[in-house]
Parts: sequence; C-alpha cells; structure tokens
Amino acid sequence: MSLAPTHPSPPDSPLARWDSRWKLAAIAFLVAGTACVRSTPAAAAFFAVAVGLALLGRIPRRAILGRVGLVLFAVVPVLVVVPLTVDDGLVPALGVGFRALAIGTFALVLVRTAPLHRTLAAAHRLRVPGVLVQVTQLAHRYTFLLAAEARRTRTALRTRGFRPRTDAHTYRTTGQAVGGLLVRGGERADRVAAAMRCRGFDGTFHTLTAFRTTAADGLGFALAAAVAVGLVAADRYF
Amino acid sequence: MGHAPAIRLANLTHAYADGRTALAGVTFAAAAGERVALVGPNGAGKTTLFLRVCGVLAGKRGEVTVAGLDPADPAHRKRLPEAVGVVFQNPDDQLFSASVLDDVAFGPLNLGLSREDAAARASESLARVGLPGFGDRVPHNLSGGEKRRAAIAGVLAMRPTVLLLDEPSMYLDPRGRRDLIGLVNGLPGTVLVATHDLEFVLDTCSRAVILDAGRVVADGDPRTLFADAALMDRHGLEVPPRLAAIRTG
Repeated sequence: MSLAPTHPSPPDSPLARWDSRWKLAAIAFLVAGTACVRSTPAAAAFFAVAVGLALLGRIPRRAILGRVGLVLFAVVPVLVVVPLTVDDGLVPALGVGFRALAIGTFALVLVRTAPLHRTLAAAHRLRVPGVLVQVTQLAHRYTFLLAAEARRTRTALRTRGFRPRTDAHTYRTTGQAVGGLLVRGGERADRVAAAMRCRGFDGTFHTLTAFRTTAADGLGFALAAAVAVGLVAADRYF
Repeated sequence: MGHAPAIRLANLTHAYADGRTALAGVTFAAAAGERVALVGPNGAGKTTLFLRVCGVLAGKRGEVTVAGLDPADPAHRKRLPEAVGVVFQNPDDQLFSASVLDDVAFGPLNLGLSREDAAARASESLARVGLPGFGDRVPHNLSGGEKRRAAIAGVLAMRPTVLLLDEPSMYLDPRGRRDLIGLVNGLPGTVLVATHDLEFVLDTCSRAVILDAGRVVADGDPRTLFADAALMDRHGLEVPPRLAAIRTG
C-alpha cells in the first residue's frame, strides 16, 4: 500500500470543456470583482455565483463543503473579533467572510475543473511570467511528495510508540521531524535542479498543451465578465 | 585506427568542499555500444562519477570525455544534454512536470524541437518503455516501476548516445525489476549502470568495473569478477546468489 495522496481527475462538465485560457481570465475577473465590492449583499452574490460555478463544474459537494469549511476556519477570527470590537461590526464581518468564501470557491473551480498542467499552460499563454508558472508547477508536484513523506514520518513515529502530547518531548520530536523534512526537501531541490540541467533546461517554460477556442468559450468569458461588472456596478451605484 | 571510446575517464579525481575525496584517479574507457556496470559499496564514488560525467559537478578539463565532449568545457557542456542521458536514483527527482507527457517532452522541447515533434518523440518513448496512454497521468500517481519507466522515457526522448543509469532497480518489485532488465537490454547506445544489484548486472552488462574508496579495483567480465569471493569480500560486496549456487552446486 502506498501512503501517497491520490489526485482525482476533473469530472466531465461544461467547465471542464471550457478553454482554460478563457476560464482563467473569467475567474480572474470574478475574483477581482469580489475583491472590489464593499457591501455584504454583493459579496454574498459573488459567493452564490462561485457556488453555482462549482455545481456546474460537477465538483463533488464534499469538496465544496471542505473548501468552505477551510475558508471559514481561516476567517473565524474576523467573524468573532470584529462584531465584538466594532459598533455594527456584524455586517462588515459577514462581508469579509463572504468575500473570502467566494474567492476560495472560485479557486476551487479553477483547480478542480481542469488538470493543473492545462491551467498553468493557460496562465503562461496569458502572459503570466514563466518563472511564476514553473515555481507553481514544482510547488504543486513536490507538495504531494512532501505530504507523502510527512505521512511516512508520522507512521514511523507512531510505530515506535510516539503519541503527541503537550510536553517537551512532543515539541522536540515534532521539531526534529519537520526539520528532517525541510532538510530532505532542500537536498531534493538540488537533485531536481541537477536533473533539469541534465535535460537541457535553460530557464524557459515549455509545454505541449495546445488550446482551441470556440465561440462558446468567448461567450462564457463575456457572461462571467458581465456578471462581475454588473455586481460591482450594483454595489457602487445602488 | 580504432573508434574513439564513448566514455573516457583519465585520472578522474574529485574532492568535495569538506575535503572528502570521492574519486581518486579513476581511469577507464567504454567503447560505443558497450554496457558497463559500475559496482561498489556505499560511498565508493559511483554517483559522484556520474555527476562528473554529465557535467553537474565541475572539474578539471581533460579528465572526462563523453561522446567526444568534455563536461568541464562550458561550450561542450551546453551540448551534453543531447549526447548524454542520466536516469537518477530516485525517479521522483526527475519527474517534475505536472503530466507524464509534458515531462517526457521536457528534454526535446529544451533541445528546440517543435511542439509536434516533441510530442511525437514523447509518445514514441512512452510506448517504448511500455507506458503508452500514460501521457495525461500525473507523475505522483504512478507506481514505483511506472515512475522509473517514465524517467527512462524522458531521457530516451532526447535520443542520447550515452545513457547513465544510477541504481535503476532500486524501489522495484520483482516484476518491475524483470521488466526493467528487458528494457535495459533493448536500449540503444552505450550504457553505464551504477548499482549494488549484482544479479541485475549479470542480466544486463558485459563488463563490470568495481570501485572502492574512489578507485578502480577491478575491471572485467562480471561473471569472473563476481565469482571471486575474496575480491567481493574485500570490497564490501557479496557473490550474487546465482553464482554462489553454481559454486556450491
């Protein structure tokens, strides 16, 4: 049995078939719109759009709920502290929460409706610098490896009777395990760089991914952009 | 006049920054098309030798010549990737792209091939290593044997004339190892294999060079060398079970 995490393939859906360049541009528009709005109803509307896209992309509900839970966990301090420390702070706190949820769900739509290499190739075609694309690709690739190594380390610790507690031994052991992972990660980075140089890498990002645009792709982008602009306008002028 | 050797090491010496000597005057040559195993205990200098041959580690000019190129010469070093392919010990170090096809095409694209030609070479290499249809898979979801094959495909796609395989049978189950033996026996060009797996050497190589403490201590036919129990014992190796069975049988 492998302790490596699995990587699900995107389910077939209109969003999976959408040209990744148009999809990335559309989601960038929606995220920018979300970040621009000031009122809570507008932020809630963006969140509703994000959830709608996630459902249209046939992303499993469990994944959507998981992402919502993760974002909520991150914004809990805002949701708790702001209403208690600012007059009429509940509504602004909810606005922050909806914005965070919307952006988190848009990101989920992006990564769960296309293989990552397509999305990264699309980003490169949209003039995102090659260095950023490559760093993202390597980070994604080796995050899974690091996670698998962390799981193996955890299993090795447990098989030797280690149970985390709130004592010095636990903190020391955890520190050593994390330190070991980082040192091994550094050594791996050197080996990966050597392997890349041996295959002629000169810093340029190349990909085989090809794209083909249809009228529906452009229409999808126009619709998403119209929704983003409409909600921002509604937020500003009504 | 004979042909120039594919690999020529002349008094190759290498010391790390901490003063540790990894290679101390290694001299040998491998002819074009020859399959040579580099065996020795841990720390013998096998991987360092590979890193010098492929130009990852810097060194003095004239110590290494591979496919007519000197890795210590910056102008030659740029041309090394198209002549020398290296399959590293851990395939996870070598499969860095987001899809198998992109990874196998990585080298050809760096060589300046068009997307169509690189894709054709990548598909051909994947078929050659027994992974047709794996192009869209993500590397971290492959099994150990599949990762090894994908890493070899990535190197074969560059069509090198010299291939360096570092511990190729590591992490493989018996079936994966058996498949790899078939694959290595079908590889073109000159092949240099660094390994502890002496049974693997008996199945794939016609010559073995034993390294110990950075020096060549024996060079010859693997069956003759590996059957010498005293030699094996002196250099931290063991007579492979297959040869031991012949001796006792």
